Amino acid sequence: MARPLLRPLRSCRNPLVYPLFCAPRISLIPATSAIPNQHNQLRRLSRDLPSHHRRLYHSQHHPDPPPHEYTNSQTTILTAALKHVPTHGFTRAALTLGARDTGFLDVSIQLLPRGEFDLILFWLASRRGLLRAAVEQNGLLKSPDSNLVSVEEKTIKLIMERLRMNTEINHQWQDALALMSLPSHIPLSLSELHALSSDILHLAGDASVDASWYTKRLSVSAIYASAEVVMTRDSSPDLAATEAFVTRRIEDSKAIGDKLTGVKQCLGFMGSTAVGLGRSWGLKI
Amino acid sequence: MSSRTLWRSLHLASRRRVALTETSYRCFSCSRQSLADPKSDHERMTHFGFSNVPESKKESMVGHVFSSVASSYDTMNDLMSLGIHRLWKDHFVRSLDPGSALPSRDGDNAGKGWNILDIAGGTGDIAFRMLDHATNINHDHNTRVTIADINAEMLAEGKKRSIETPYYNTDRLSFMQGNAEHMPSIPDNSVDLYTVVFGIRNFTDKQAALVEAHRVLKPGGVFACMEFSKVDNALFNAVYKNWSFSAIPLIGQLVAGDRESYQYLVESIEKFPSQEEFRGMIQKAGFMIPGRGFENLTGGIAAIHKGIKPLTKA
Repeated sequence: MARPLLRPLRSCRNPLVYPLFCAPRISLIPATSAIPNQHNQLRRLSRDLPSHHRRLYHSQHHPDPPPHEYTNSQTTILTAALKHVPTHGFTRAALTLGARDTGFLDVSIQLLPRGEFDLILFWLASRRGLLRAAVEQNGLLKSPDSNLVSVEEKTIKLIMERLRMNTEINHQWQDALALMSLPSHIPLSLSELHALSSDILHLAGDASVDASWYTKRLSVSAIYASAEVVMTRDSSPDLAATEAFVTRRIEDSKAIGDKLTGVKQCLGFMGSTAVGLGRSWGLKI
Repeated sequence: MSSRTLWRSLHLASRRRVALTETSYRCFSCSRQSLADPKSDHERMTHFGFSNVPESKKESMVGHVFSSVASSYDTMNDLMSLGIHRLWKDHFVRSLDPGSALPSRDGDNAGKGWNILDIAGGTGDIAFRMLDHATNINHDHNTRVTIADINAEMLAEGKKRSIETPYYNTDRLSFMQGNAEHMPSIPDNSVDLYTVVFGIRNFTDKQAALVEAHRVLKPGGVFACMEFSKVDNALFNAVYKNWSFSAIPLIGQLVAGDRESYQYLVESIEKFPSQEEFRGMIQKAGFMIPGRGFENLTGGIAAIHKGIKPLTKA
Protein backbone atom coordinates (compact mmCIF):
# COMPACT_ATOMS: atom_id res chain seq x y z
CA MET A 1 0.00 0.00 0.00
CA ALA A 2 2.80 2.35 0.90
CA ARG A 3 4.85 1.56 -2.18
CA PRO A 4 2.77 3.15 -4.95
CA LEU A 5 2.15 6.13 -2.80
CA LEU A 6 5.82 6.65 -2.14
CA ARG A 7 6.67 6.45 -5.82
CA PRO A 8 5.87 10.06 -6.64
CA LEU A 9 8.38 11.10 -4.00
CA ARG A 10 11.18 9.55 -6.04
CA SER A 11 10.54 11.85 -8.92
CA CYS A 12 10.99 14.75 -6.57
CA ARG A 13 14.70 14.38 -5.87
CA ASN A 14 15.33 17.75 -7.39
CA PRO A 15 15.33 20.11 -4.46
CA LEU A 16 13.98 22.94 -6.57
CA VAL A 17 10.96 20.98 -7.71
CA TYR A 18 10.33 19.25 -4.40
CA PRO A 19 8.73 22.06 -2.42
CA LEU A 20 6.61 23.18 -5.37
CA PHE A 21 5.05 19.91 -6.42
CA CYS A 22 5.65 17.37 -3.75
CA ALA A 23 5.15 19.20 -0.51
CA PRO A 24 1.34 19.25 -0.71
CA ARG A 25 1.28 15.54 -1.44
CA ILE A 26 2.90 14.62 1.82
CA SER A 27 -0.28 15.38 3.64
CA LEU A 28 -2.11 12.94 1.35
CA ILE A 29 0.12 10.01 2.26
CA PRO A 30 -1.43 7.99 5.09
CA ALA A 31 0.32 7.90 8.44
CA THR A 32 1.56 4.32 7.90
CA SER A 33 4.60 5.37 5.88
CA ALA A 34 7.65 6.46 7.74
CA ILE A 35 8.42 9.97 6.59
CA PRO A 36 5.12 11.72 7.12
CA ASN A 37 4.75 9.88 10.39
CA GLN A 38 7.73 11.76 11.74
CA HIS A 39 6.34 14.99 10.44
CA ASN A 40 3.08 14.40 12.17
CA GLN A 41 4.77 13.48 15.41
CA LEU A 42 6.83 16.60 15.45
CA ARG A 43 3.83 18.71 14.63
CA ARG A 44 1.82 17.05 17.36
CA LEU A 45 4.63 17.55 19.86
CA SER A 46 4.90 21.23 19.19
CA ARG A 47 1.15 21.65 19.27
CA ASP A 48 0.52 19.68 22.45
CA LEU A 49 3.14 21.40 24.55
CA PRO A 50 1.67 24.26 26.52
CA SER A 51 3.17 27.56 25.56
CA HIS A 52 4.74 27.80 29.00
CA HIS A 53 6.94 24.77 28.26
CA ARG A 54 8.09 26.10 24.92
CA ARG A 55 11.77 26.46 25.65
CA LEU A 56 13.91 27.92 22.96
CA TYR A 57 17.40 26.55 22.79
CA HIS A 58 16.39 23.93 25.34
CA SER A 59 15.88 20.45 23.98
CA GLN A 60 12.32 19.19 24.38
CA HIS A 61 13.44 15.60 24.23
CA HIS A 62 15.88 15.66 27.14
CA PRO A 63 15.12 16.18 30.79
CA ASP A 64 16.47 19.30 32.43
CA PRO A 65 20.06 18.90 33.53
CA PRO A 66 20.35 18.87 37.33
CA PRO A 67 21.36 22.28 38.66
CA HIS A 68 24.64 20.86 40.03
CA GLU A 69 26.92 17.89 39.50
CA TYR A 70 27.63 16.77 43.03
CA THR A 71 27.38 13.12 44.00
CA ASN A 72 25.00 11.85 46.67
CA SER A 73 27.49 11.90 49.52
CA GLN A 74 28.70 15.35 48.53
CA THR A 75 25.13 16.63 48.39
CA THR A 76 24.41 15.14 51.82
CA ILE A 77 27.34 16.94 53.43
CA LEU A 78 26.68 20.20 51.58
CA THR A 79 22.98 20.26 52.39
CA ALA A 80 23.72 19.70 56.06
CA ALA A 81 26.49 22.30 55.95
CA LEU A 82 24.12 24.95 54.57
CA LYS A 83 22.24 24.88 57.90
CA HIS A 84 25.40 26.10 59.62
CA VAL A 85 26.09 28.90 57.16
CA PRO A 86 24.07 31.61 59.01
CA THR A 87 26.24 31.13 62.11
CA HIS A 88 29.57 30.03 60.67
CA GLY A 89 29.51 31.58 57.22
CA PHE A 90 30.78 29.85 54.09
CA THR A 91 33.74 28.30 55.89
CA ARG A 92 35.37 24.97 56.52
CA ALA A 93 33.80 25.05 59.97
CA ALA A 94 30.33 24.90 58.41
CA LEU A 95 31.45 22.05 56.17
CA THR A 96 32.94 20.15 59.11
CA LEU A 97 29.75 20.54 61.14
CA GLY A 98 27.70 19.43 58.14
CA ALA A 99 29.90 16.35 57.79
CA ARG A 100 29.53 15.56 61.50
CA ASP A 101 25.75 16.01 61.34
CA THR A 102 25.47 13.41 58.61
CA GLY A 103 27.68 10.82 60.30
CA PHE A 104 30.87 11.63 58.44
CA LEU A 105 34.23 12.44 60.02
CA ASP A 106 36.02 15.77 60.12
CA VAL A 107 38.41 14.48 57.49
CA SER A 108 35.54 13.58 55.13
CA ILE A 109 35.30 17.14 53.83
CA GLN A 110 38.16 16.05 51.58
CA LEU A 111 35.27 14.80 49.47
CA LEU A 112 34.89 18.43 48.34
CA PRO A 113 38.11 19.31 46.58
CA ARG A 114 37.34 23.03 46.45
CA GLY A 115 36.45 23.29 50.13
CA GLU A 116 34.36 26.30 51.10
CA PHE A 117 34.04 27.39 47.48
CA ASP A 118 32.13 24.18 46.84
CA LEU A 119 29.73 25.26 49.57
CA ILE A 120 29.16 28.58 47.79
CA LEU A 121 28.72 26.91 44.41
CA PHE A 122 26.27 24.46 45.93
CA TRP A 123 24.33 27.30 47.50
CA LEU A 124 24.11 29.12 44.17
CA ALA A 125 23.19 26.04 42.16
CA SER A 126 20.61 24.75 44.61
CA ARG A 127 18.92 28.16 44.94
CA ARG A 128 18.82 28.37 41.17
CA GLY A 129 17.11 24.98 41.13
CA LEU A 130 14.62 26.23 43.74
CA LEU A 131 13.87 29.28 41.63
CA ARG A 132 13.17 27.10 38.63
CA ALA A 133 10.95 24.85 40.72
CA ALA A 134 9.09 27.87 42.15
CA VAL A 135 8.15 28.96 38.65
CA GLU A 136 7.53 25.62 36.95
CA GLN A 137 5.83 23.78 39.79
CA ASN A 138 4.45 26.41 42.14
CA GLY A 139 3.45 28.85 39.42
CA LEU A 140 5.27 31.83 40.85
CA LEU A 141 4.55 34.01 37.82
CA LYS A 142 0.94 32.85 37.47
CA SER A 143 -0.56 34.05 40.75
CA PRO A 144 -3.92 35.73 40.07
CA ASP A 145 -3.22 38.94 41.98
CA SER A 146 -0.08 39.68 39.99
CA ASN A 147 -0.61 40.94 36.49
CA LEU A 148 2.83 40.43 35.07
CA VAL A 149 2.89 40.64 31.34
CA SER A 150 6.13 41.95 29.93
CA VAL A 151 9.44 40.11 30.10
CA GLU A 152 10.92 43.02 32.06
CA GLU A 153 8.35 42.79 34.83
CA LYS A 154 8.80 39.06 35.10
CA THR A 155 12.56 39.50 35.16
CA ILE A 156 12.32 41.95 38.05
CA LYS A 157 10.02 39.57 39.90
CA LEU A 158 12.42 36.65 39.37
CA ILE A 159 15.53 38.62 40.35
CA MET A 160 13.82 39.76 43.54
CA GLU A 161 12.63 36.23 44.28
CA ARG A 162 16.17 34.94 43.91
CA LEU A 163 17.58 37.76 46.06
CA ARG A 164 15.04 37.05 48.82
CA MET A 165 16.45 33.53 49.06
CA ASN A 166 19.68 35.18 50.22
CA THR A 167 17.99 36.94 53.14
CA GLU A 168 18.94 34.44 55.83
CA ILE A 169 22.61 34.45 54.86
CA ASN A 170 22.76 38.12 53.89
CA HIS A 171 25.28 38.96 56.64
CA GLN A 172 27.65 36.25 55.36
CA TRP A 173 27.28 37.05 51.69
CA GLN A 174 30.02 39.69 51.47
CA ASP A 175 32.56 37.08 52.54
CA ALA A 176 31.22 34.71 49.91
CA LEU A 177 31.43 37.40 47.23
CA ALA A 178 35.03 38.05 48.24
CA LEU A 179 35.82 34.35 47.94
CA MET A 180 34.08 34.13 44.58
CA SER A 181 36.17 36.99 43.22
CA LEU A 182 39.49 35.23 43.85
CA PRO A 183 41.22 34.80 40.49
CA SER A 184 41.09 31.00 40.55
CA HIS A 185 37.36 31.05 41.35
CA ILE A 186 36.27 33.66 38.82
CA PRO A 187 35.58 31.33 35.86
CA LEU A 188 33.23 29.09 37.84
CA SER A 189 31.54 32.06 39.52
CA LEU A 190 30.90 33.66 36.16
CA SER A 191 29.53 30.51 34.59
CA GLU A 192 27.17 30.10 37.53
CA LEU A 193 26.10 33.73 37.12
CA HIS A 194 25.47 33.13 33.44
CA ALA A 195 23.44 30.01 34.23
CA LEU A 196 21.30 32.02 36.63
CA SER A 197 20.70 34.92 34.24
CA SER A 198 19.93 32.47 31.45
CA ASP A 199 17.43 30.66 33.67
CA ILE A 200 15.81 33.93 34.73
CA LEU A 201 15.37 35.11 31.16
CA HIS A 202 14.13 31.76 30.00
CA LEU A 203 11.61 31.55 32.84
CA ALA A 204 10.53 35.12 32.14
CA GLY A 205 9.63 33.98 28.64
CA ASP A 206 12.34 35.71 26.69
CA ALA A 207 12.35 34.37 23.14
CA SER A 208 15.12 36.31 21.47
CA VAL A 209 17.17 34.39 18.95
CA ASP A 210 19.56 37.07 17.69
CA ALA A 211 22.51 38.89 19.20
CA SER A 212 20.24 40.25 21.91
CA TRP A 213 20.26 36.73 23.41
CA TYR A 214 23.78 37.55 24.56
CA THR A 215 23.29 41.18 25.48
CA LYS A 216 20.19 40.41 27.52
CA ARG A 217 21.98 37.74 29.51
CA LEU A 218 24.92 40.07 29.97
CA SER A 219 22.75 42.86 31.29
CA VAL A 220 20.71 40.62 33.59
CA SER A 221 23.99 39.20 34.94
CA ALA A 222 25.32 42.68 35.58
CA ILE A 223 22.08 43.80 37.22
CA TYR A 224 21.87 40.71 39.42
CA ALA A 225 25.52 40.90 40.51
CA SER A 226 25.29 44.58 41.41
CA ALA A 227 21.96 44.05 43.16
CA GLU A 228 23.60 41.38 45.32
CA VAL A 229 26.22 43.89 46.41
CA VAL A 230 23.54 46.49 47.10
CA MET A 231 21.58 43.95 49.09
CA THR A 232 24.45 43.22 51.48
CA ARG A 233 24.15 46.85 52.64
CA ASP A 234 20.37 46.99 52.53
CA SER A 235 18.60 47.34 55.88
CA SER A 236 15.22 48.55 54.58
CA PRO A 237 12.14 46.40 55.36
CA ASP A 238 11.50 43.64 52.83
CA LEU A 239 14.46 44.75 50.71
CA ALA A 240 12.59 47.80 49.39
CA ALA A 241 15.83 49.60 48.56
CA THR A 242 17.15 46.63 46.61
CA GLU A 243 13.89 46.27 44.71
CA ALA A 244 13.95 49.96 43.78
CA PHE A 245 17.55 49.53 42.65
CA VAL A 246 16.70 46.53 40.45
CA THR A 247 13.70 48.31 38.92
CA ARG A 248 15.82 51.35 38.09
CA ARG A 249 18.56 49.23 36.52
CA ILE A 250 16.08 47.29 34.38
CA GLU A 251 14.56 50.56 33.22
CA ASP A 252 18.02 51.92 32.49
CA SER A 253 18.96 48.90 30.44
CA LYS A 254 15.68 49.14 28.56
CA ALA A 255 16.27 52.83 27.90
CA ILE A 256 19.80 52.15 26.70
CA GLY A 257 18.52 49.35 24.50
CA ASP A 258 15.86 51.62 23.01
CA LYS A 259 18.40 54.37 22.40
CA LEU A 260 20.76 51.92 20.72
CA THR A 261 17.98 50.61 18.48
CA GLY A 262 17.07 54.21 17.58
CA VAL A 263 20.66 55.07 16.75
CA LYS A 264 21.03 51.91 14.70
CA GLN A 265 17.83 52.63 12.79
CA CYS A 266 18.88 56.24 12.15
CA LEU A 267 22.31 55.15 10.90
CA GLY A 268 20.64 52.57 8.67
CA PHE A 269 18.34 55.16 7.11
CA MET A 270 21.17 57.58 6.58
CA GLY A 271 23.27 54.85 4.99
CA SER A 272 20.59 53.74 2.59
CA THR A 273 19.83 57.38 1.75
CA ALA A 274 23.51 57.95 0.97
CA VAL A 275 23.61 54.85 -1.21
CA GLY A 276 20.44 55.91 -3.02
CA LEU A 277 21.81 59.39 -3.51
CA GLY A 278 25.07 58.03 -4.90
CA ARG A 279 23.21 55.77 -7.30
CA SER A 280 21.08 58.61 -8.54
CA TRP A 281 24.32 60.44 -9.33
CA GLY A 282 25.47 57.45 -11.35
CA LEU A 283 27.91 55.90 -8.89
CA LYS A 284 28.20 52.16 -9.32
CA ILE A 285 27.33 51.05 -5.77
CA MET B 1 74.08 -11.02 -10.13
CA SER B 2 72.99 -7.72 -8.67
CA SER B 3 69.80 -9.30 -7.37
CA ARG B 4 71.86 -11.90 -5.55
CA THR B 5 73.93 -9.26 -3.70
CA LEU B 6 70.75 -7.46 -2.80
CA TRP B 7 69.25 -10.65 -1.41
CA ARG B 8 72.43 -11.35 0.52
CA SER B 9 72.51 -7.90 2.13
CA LEU B 10 68.86 -8.20 3.10
CA HIS B 11 69.49 -11.62 4.51
CA LEU B 12 72.41 -10.32 6.55
CA ALA B 13 70.40 -7.38 7.76
CA SER B 14 67.66 -9.63 9.05
CA ARG B 15 70.21 -11.82 10.73
CA ARG B 16 71.72 -8.80 12.43
CA ARG B 17 68.34 -7.80 13.78
CA VAL B 18 67.81 -11.22 15.25
CA ALA B 19 71.16 -11.02 16.96
CA LEU B 20 70.16 -7.67 18.52
CA THR B 21 67.02 -8.94 20.16
CA GLU B 22 68.82 -11.86 21.73
CA THR B 23 70.86 -9.69 24.07
CA SER B 24 67.76 -7.63 25.03
CA TYR B 25 69.62 -4.38 25.23
CA ARG B 26 68.09 -1.88 27.63
CA CYS B 27 69.58 1.53 27.43
CA PHE B 28 69.11 2.80 30.98
CA SER B 29 69.33 -0.17 33.22
CA CYS B 30 72.30 -2.29 32.37
CA SER B 31 73.27 -2.12 36.00
CA ARG B 32 70.11 -3.91 37.07
CA GLN B 33 70.67 -6.96 34.95
CA SER B 34 72.97 -8.63 37.41
CA LEU B 35 70.38 -8.28 40.16
CA ALA B 36 67.61 -9.99 38.25
CA ASP B 37 67.65 -13.67 39.03
CA PRO B 38 66.95 -16.25 36.37
CA LYS B 39 63.20 -16.51 36.31
CA SER B 40 61.38 -19.47 37.70
CA ASP B 41 58.29 -20.07 35.64
CA HIS B 42 55.91 -21.17 38.34
CA GLU B 43 56.28 -18.00 40.46
CA ARG B 44 54.41 -14.76 39.86
CA MET B 45 56.62 -11.96 38.68
CA THR B 46 56.49 -8.27 39.48
CA HIS B 47 58.61 -5.40 38.29
CA PHE B 48 61.56 -3.96 40.11
CA GLY B 49 62.46 -0.90 38.17
CA PHE B 50 62.67 -2.09 34.57
CA SER B 51 63.52 -5.66 35.42
CA ASN B 52 61.14 -8.42 36.42
CA VAL B 53 61.69 -10.20 39.69
CA PRO B 54 59.72 -12.83 41.59
CA GLU B 55 57.15 -11.26 43.89
CA SER B 56 58.71 -12.84 46.95
CA LYS B 57 62.00 -11.15 46.17
CA LYS B 58 60.82 -7.59 45.55
CA GLU B 59 60.26 -6.84 49.20
CA SER B 60 63.82 -7.61 50.21
CA MET B 61 65.23 -5.82 47.18
CA VAL B 62 63.28 -2.67 47.97
CA GLY B 63 64.37 -3.11 51.57
CA HIS B 64 67.97 -3.17 50.45
CA VAL B 65 67.49 0.01 48.41
CA PHE B 66 66.03 1.98 51.29
CA SER B 67 68.46 0.65 53.86
CA SER B 68 71.26 2.03 51.79
CA VAL B 69 69.69 5.46 51.26
CA ALA B 70 68.20 6.02 54.74
CA SER B 71 71.00 8.20 56.09
CA SER B 72 71.33 10.51 53.10
CA TYR B 73 67.59 10.52 52.35
CA ASP B 74 66.87 14.22 52.87
CA THR B 75 70.00 15.59 51.21
CA MET B 76 69.30 13.42 48.21
CA ASN B 77 65.66 14.45 47.98
CA ASP B 78 66.69 18.09 48.05
CA LEU B 79 69.26 17.62 45.31
CA MET B 80 67.09 15.48 43.08
CA SER B 81 63.97 17.61 43.23
CA LEU B 82 65.83 20.92 43.61
CA GLY B 83 64.06 21.42 46.92
CA ILE B 84 60.59 21.20 45.41
CA HIS B 85 59.69 18.07 47.38
CA ARG B 86 59.36 20.23 50.50
CA LEU B 87 56.79 22.43 48.77
CA TRP B 88 54.88 19.36 47.63
CA LYS B 89 54.84 17.89 51.11
CA ASP B 90 53.75 21.18 52.66
CA HIS B 91 50.98 21.49 50.10
CA PHE B 92 49.89 17.92 50.68
CA VAL B 93 49.58 18.43 54.45
CA ARG B 94 47.89 21.82 54.08
CA SER B 95 45.30 20.46 51.68
CA LEU B 96 44.47 17.66 54.14
CA ASP B 97 44.23 20.15 56.99
CA PRO B 98 44.73 17.56 59.75
CA GLY B 99 43.36 18.22 63.22
CA SER B 100 39.94 19.32 64.38
CA ALA B 101 39.65 23.06 64.77
CA LEU B 102 36.14 22.73 66.22
CA PRO B 103 35.51 21.23 69.63
CA SER B 104 33.73 17.93 69.34
CA ARG B 105 30.07 17.94 70.28
CA ASP B 106 27.92 15.33 71.93
CA GLY B 107 26.76 12.61 69.62
CA ASP B 108 29.47 13.18 67.02
CA ASN B 109 30.89 10.13 65.34
CA ALA B 110 34.30 11.71 65.32
CA GLY B 111 36.32 11.16 68.45
CA LYS B 112 38.77 13.62 69.89
CA GLY B 113 41.48 14.41 67.39
CA TRP B 114 42.30 12.40 64.32
CA ASN B 115 43.89 9.00 64.23
CA ILE B 116 46.36 9.20 61.36
CA LEU B 117 48.28 6.32 59.87
CA ASP B 118 51.32 7.34 57.85
CA ILE B 119 52.42 4.42 55.72
CA ALA B 120 55.95 4.24 54.35
CA GLY B 121 56.68 7.38 56.34
CA GLY B 122 59.85 6.04 57.92
CA THR B 123 61.78 9.27 58.23
CA GLY B 124 58.69 11.02 59.56
CA ASP B 125 58.77 14.14 57.42
CA ILE B 126 55.05 13.88 56.63
CA ALA B 127 54.10 12.80 60.15
CA PHE B 128 55.88 15.73 61.82
CA ARG B 129 54.35 18.15 59.33
CA MET B 130 50.86 16.84 60.07
CA LEU B 131 51.37 17.04 63.83
CA ASP B 132 52.73 20.57 63.48
CA HIS B 133 49.75 21.58 61.37
CA ALA B 134 47.25 20.07 63.82
CA THR B 135 48.93 21.70 66.81
CA ASN B 136 49.80 25.13 65.47
CA ILE B 137 47.06 25.80 62.93
CA ASN B 138 44.08 23.93 64.36
CA HIS B 139 45.13 23.97 68.05
CA ASP B 140 44.32 20.32 68.27
CA HIS B 141 46.52 18.54 70.82
CA ASN B 142 44.83 15.17 70.48
CA THR B 143 45.58 14.22 66.89
CA ARG B 144 48.03 11.35 66.79
CA VAL B 145 50.11 9.74 64.07
CA THR B 146 51.33 6.20 63.71
CA ILE B 147 54.30 5.91 61.41
CA ALA B 148 54.48 2.55 59.71
CA ASP B 149 57.31 1.42 57.53
CA ILE B 150 58.49 -1.93 56.32
CA ASN B 151 62.10 -0.90 56.68
CA ALA B 152 63.67 -0.86 60.15
CA GLU B 153 66.48 1.43 59.12
CA MET B 154 64.14 4.10 57.79
CA LEU B 155 62.13 3.84 61.02
CA ALA B 156 65.31 4.22 63.06
CA GLU B 157 66.08 7.37 61.10
CA GLY B 158 62.58 8.68 61.90
CA LYS B 159 62.95 7.85 65.60
CA LYS B 160 66.24 9.66 65.69
CA ARG B 161 64.65 12.73 64.16
CA SER B 162 61.62 12.63 66.42
CA ILE B 163 63.87 13.35 69.41
CA GLU B 164 64.12 16.92 68.20
CA THR B 165 60.34 17.36 67.89
CA PRO B 166 57.98 18.13 70.78
CA TYR B 167 56.17 14.86 70.06
CA TYR B 168 59.04 12.64 71.16
CA ASN B 169 57.94 10.12 73.75
CA THR B 170 54.32 11.28 73.81
CA ASP B 171 51.26 9.25 72.91
CA ARG B 172 50.80 11.42 69.82
CA LEU B 173 53.55 9.71 67.88
CA SER B 174 54.19 6.01 67.57
CA PHE B 175 56.22 3.80 65.29
CA MET B 176 55.32 0.46 63.81
CA GLN B 177 57.16 -1.87 61.52
CA GLY B 178 54.90 -3.64 59.11
CA ASN B 179 53.90 -4.47 55.57
CA ALA B 180 51.17 -2.21 54.21
CA GLU B 181 49.56 -5.10 52.37
CA HIS B 182 48.79 -6.91 55.60
CA MET B 183 48.58 -5.09 58.94
CA PRO B 184 46.82 -7.38 61.40
CA SER B 185 47.82 -5.20 64.37
CA ILE B 186 45.53 -2.39 63.18
CA PRO B 187 41.82 -3.07 63.78
CA ASP B 188 39.09 -2.50 61.19
CA ASN B 189 37.47 0.95 60.97
CA SER B 190 39.97 2.63 63.26
CA VAL B 191 41.82 5.21 61.19
CA ASP B 192 40.64 8.71 60.17
CA LEU B 193 43.34 9.48 57.66
CA TYR B 194 45.65 7.10 55.83
CA THR B 195 48.58 8.74 54.04
CA VAL B 196 51.25 7.23 51.88
CA VAL B 197 53.74 9.64 50.39
CA PHE B 198 56.22 8.48 47.76
CA GLY B 199 55.86 4.92 49.00
CA ILE B 200 53.13 3.04 47.20
CA ARG B 201 55.34 2.84 44.12
CA ASN B 202 57.54 0.34 45.94
CA PHE B 203 54.76 -1.97 47.09
CA THR B 204 54.74 -5.44 45.63
CA ASP B 205 50.94 -5.61 45.38
CA LYS B 206 49.47 -2.11 45.24
CA GLN B 207 45.87 -3.29 44.98
CA ALA B 208 46.23 -5.39 48.13
CA ALA B 209 47.59 -2.35 49.96
CA LEU B 210 44.60 -0.28 48.81
CA VAL B 211 42.19 -2.95 50.01
CA GLU B 212 43.97 -3.06 53.35
CA ALA B 213 43.72 0.74 53.57
CA HIS B 214 40.00 0.45 52.94
CA ARG B 215 39.74 -2.07 55.77
CA VAL B 216 41.51 -0.03 58.44
CA LEU B 217 39.83 3.28 57.60
CA LYS B 218 36.67 4.37 59.44
CA PRO B 219 33.65 4.98 57.21
CA GLY B 220 34.16 8.53 55.95
CA GLY B 221 37.90 8.19 56.42
CA VAL B 222 40.27 9.43 53.77
CA PHE B 223 42.99 7.69 51.80
CA ALA B 224 45.52 10.25 50.58
CA CYS B 225 48.53 9.40 48.51
CA MET B 226 51.25 11.49 46.91
CA GLU B 227 53.31 9.74 44.30
CA PHE B 228 55.42 10.44 41.25
CA SER B 229 53.25 10.35 38.20
CA LYS B 230 53.10 11.10 34.49
CA VAL B 231 53.95 14.51 33.07
CA ASP B 232 51.26 15.70 30.65
CA ASN B 233 53.30 18.18 28.60
CA ALA B 234 55.46 16.46 25.96
CA LEU B 235 58.18 19.10 25.95
CA PHE B 236 58.43 19.26 29.73
CA ASN B 237 58.34 15.49 29.83
CA ALA B 238 61.43 15.29 27.61
CA VAL B 239 63.33 17.65 29.90
CA TYR B 240 62.14 15.79 32.99
CA LYS B 241 63.03 12.35 31.63
CA ASN B 242 66.48 13.58 30.70
CA TRP B 243 66.99 14.92 34.18
CA SER B 244 65.71 11.85 35.96
CA PHE B 245 67.56 9.26 33.89
CA SER B 246 70.88 11.08 33.56
CA ALA B 247 71.22 13.36 36.54
CA ILE B 248 69.58 11.48 39.39
CA PRO B 249 71.69 8.29 39.23
CA LEU B 250 74.76 10.49 38.90
CA ILE B 251 73.83 12.57 41.95
CA GLY B 252 73.17 9.32 43.78
CA GLN B 253 76.62 8.07 42.90
CA LEU B 254 78.37 11.27 43.92
CA VAL B 255 76.47 12.11 47.11
CA ALA B 256 75.19 8.84 48.48
CA GLY B 257 77.77 6.62 46.80
CA ASP B 258 74.99 4.40 45.53
CA ARG B 259 74.08 4.52 41.88
CA GLU B 260 72.04 1.34 41.87
CA SER B 261 69.43 2.51 44.33
CA TYR B 262 68.77 5.73 42.49
CA GLN B 263 68.68 3.93 39.19
CA TYR B 264 65.94 1.81 40.75
CA LEU B 265 64.19 4.98 41.95
CA VAL B 266 63.85 6.51 38.49
CA GLU B 267 62.87 3.20 36.91
CA SER B 268 60.18 2.57 39.51
CA ILE B 269 58.79 6.06 38.81
CA GLU B 270 58.62 5.17 35.13
CA LYS B 271 56.79 1.94 35.92
CA PHE B 272 54.15 3.49 38.18
CA PRO B 273 50.67 3.67 36.60
CA SER B 274 49.36 6.94 35.21
CA GLN B 275 47.03 9.21 37.17
CA GLU B 276 43.91 7.77 35.53
CA GLU B 277 44.96 4.14 35.99
CA PHE B 278 45.81 4.65 39.63
CA ARG B 279 42.51 6.45 40.21
CA GLY B 280 40.81 3.37 38.76
CA MET B 281 42.70 1.19 41.25
CA ILE B 282 41.56 3.37 44.16
CA GLN B 283 37.97 3.15 42.95
CA LYS B 284 38.29 -0.60 42.57
CA ALA B 285 39.28 -0.87 46.22
CA GLY B 286 35.90 0.67 47.12
CA PHE B 287 36.71 4.33 47.63
CA MET B 288 34.66 7.32 46.50
CA ILE B 289 36.63 9.73 44.36
CA PRO B 290 36.28 13.45 45.04
CA GLY B 291 35.96 15.45 41.82
CA ARG B 292 38.62 14.49 39.32
CA GLY B 293 40.33 12.33 41.92
CA PHE B 294 43.86 13.59 41.56
CA GLU B 295 45.78 16.83 41.61
CA ASN B 296 48.91 17.26 39.52
CA LEU B 297 51.91 18.97 41.05
CA THR B 298 54.62 20.64 38.94
CA GLY B 299 53.04 19.56 35.66
CA GLY B 300 52.36 15.99 36.79
CA ILE B 301 55.81 15.02 38.11
CA ALA B 302 53.94 14.17 41.29
CA ALA B 303 50.23 13.77 41.86
CA ILE B 304 48.03 13.71 44.94
CA HIS B 305 45.32 11.05 44.88
CA LYS B 306 42.46 10.94 47.32
CA GLY B 307 39.71 8.48 48.07
CA ILE B 308 36.99 8.49 50.71
CA LYS B 309 35.58 5.36 52.28
CA PRO B 310 31.79 5.51 51.93
CA LEU B 311 29.49 5.34 54.91
CA THR B 312 27.91 1.94 55.29
CA LYS B 313 24.17 2.21 54.93
CA ALA B 314 22.52 1.00 58.10
